[in-house]
Amino acid sequence: MSGAAKFKNKVKISERHGGGEWLAERVLLTALLPLGLWVASTGFTLAGAAYDAVLDWFAKPLNAVLLSVTAVLLFGYLSLAWKVILEDYVPQIGARKALTGLVNLVFFVLAAASLFFIVRLALGSAPLPAGIGA
Amino acid sequence: MTQPNPTPGVASGDRTGRFVRQPNGHVTPLSPHMGIWRWHVTMAASILFRATLIAASVGLVFVVAWLGALAFGPETYETALALAGSPLGLFVGFGLTVILFSFILNGARHTINDTGNGLTIKSATALSNIAVWAPVPLAILFWVVLFAVGRVSL
Repeated sequence: MSGAAKFKNKVKISERHGGGEWLAERVLLTALLPLGLWVASTGFTLAGAAYDAVLDWFAKPLNAVLLSVTAVLLFGYLSLAWKVILEDYVPQIGARKALTGLVNLVFFVLAAASLFFIVRLALGSAPLPAGIGA
Repeated sequence: MTQPNPTPGVASGDRTGRFVRQPNGHVTPLSPHMGIWRWHVTMAASILFRATLIAASVGLVFVVAWLGALAFGPETYETALALAGSPLGLFVGFGLTVILFSFILNGARHTINDTGNGLTIKSATALSNIAVWAPVPLAILFWVVLFAVGRVSL
């Protein structure tokens, strides 16, 4: 993560671990395709559904687990995707690193919030803000 | 768009008229770039996948907001549902389904091509055409069925 490029056997280290990122993108995308179909069917089921019906859906462990997995994989994939996009279009190193960090922070917050909401809904917790400072 | 000014005939045997004196003084053929490329659907599929991911990043804020509205209880959920049922809300919902189908189809194209398959001109074009054109009709079908079975109404 330091500024100067590190070399090993006269090959940039970044050129050695880039393949890992590429593979991570491919694995995540492959996993997200069937999950995407499941999200489409879920969206169809839950569109305009009443509150109780939606909570019944979240009470099923399989649904809550699949949705959590989807959220984590999707935000992880988007984080890698934004890294590639920023590398392509933002030539200034400082601005690129700042934007990459900002994007990662936003996705981390969104993923954490998603998991927090999903877990509460799956456990049938009392509506927020119950349990937080009250 | 400014075209470089080619100086035909400066290289011996130049029959193309594309040789040009570069700023460094060398006489070289003009690179085949802006003046010679041809639009192809594979380019559209490629850039639309990035556009889809950027749009998905924005769209996911609405999805997380939906989860939050549920977690904040029935009243908040009713408010969110009313917003989602408004014309603007339905437009956002339609956009979310377009993004989702675009992600699935274009992601499938990307995965197929990344594994070294579907890379002949014919199959790459076919995959790209599906990825570019199919998401909107699929999303329309999705919402037509939702309205038809009465799950969503105006």
